Amino acid sequence: MIEKKKKFIIYILFLLILIWCFGIFSEFLIYNFPFLTKLLPFLKYNYSLVCHTESDKLVCIGMHHTLTCARCTGIYLGGFFSSLVTIFGYNKNTSTRLLLFSSLPMITDVFLLALGIYNYSKIIALLTGLLLGSVGFFYIQNLIIELLLNFRKIK
Amino acid sequence: MKKYLPAIVAGFVAGVLHIVPLAKSMTCCLIVPLAAFGAIILDQKANGTKGNFDLKRGAILGLLTGLFAALFGSFFDIFVTFITRNNDIIISFNELTQLLDTMPVPNDVKAEVLELMNQVSDSIKESGFSLLYSVSIIFNNVIVNSIFGTIGGLVGTKVLNARNSN
Repeated sequence: MIEKKKKFIIYILFLLILIWCFGIFSEFLIYNFPFLTKLLPFLKYNYSLVCHTESDKLVCIGMHHTLTCARCTGIYLGGFFSSLVTIFGYNKNTSTRLLLFSSLPMITDVFLLALGIYNYSKIIALLTGLLLGSVGFFYIQNLIIELLLNFRKIK
Repeated sequence: MKKYLPAIVAGFVAGVLHIVPLAKSMTCCLIVPLAAFGAIILDQKANGTKGNFDLKRGAILGLLTGLFAALFGSFFDIFVTFITRNNDIIISFNELTQLLDTMPVPNDVKAEVLELMNQVSDSIKESGFSLLYSVSIIFNNVIVNSIFGTIGGLVGTKVLNARNSN
């Protein structure tokens, strides 16, 4: 029963993060889903709540951009990939220490950028975000599972 | 009421920071989770809790912080829009028009979107208020902030408990 509930939570989380990533790439997906055009202003505002969305930091392919910056896109894609592997049975029990270690490359990148040591690189931002997002997802997912499975038991 | 005070205080701070451009661009998605973490610390101090913090309590505090941040943030956003008769929607209107031109969507859909945006933009310029804009920002803020607040509450509780156990 517990395994069934756990699987259900994993599927729900996968679905939610899939929808979230779908929204990030909505400019690209308008070709296949024209209805997204009507939602675009709404989606742009939605993602501006969680990302600075500076135009020179967005992932750009051809004439279209993601709705979040390269770093945030990396974080959410990392979360999506981790969610995908969880569907296939892989689950990593992540410690707080591992989460902090995985955030170090991103923090270092932000710090070096702030000091002006080098210029902003979308690839570095994307990769450091991807690392934190993939580890962070396992950490958050395990907390959500722990919370929901024991919601009535926890005082 | 005292039970919810940490969430109200942290939510208020997050709501204010939501409309400060510099703070918003520096912390972006971290405002609400950090506020949730702050609410947990405030709650711990107020109740003199020692030892591990309850995960459920952390999640609920995070959720409430997100909801209060959404309410305060939306209120301040609507209020500033009413005073200045200007906001991000108006600023990005031309950008959106250019973007729509590059997209392979039927002209009637483009026209519909532009008309809708025009209505919002005109309404804000004339009266400082647009019902569609207000409803959509409240809806967006409530959904996004409650999710990020709950995540912040969960992670904050776990981090605090890990620190206590060390």
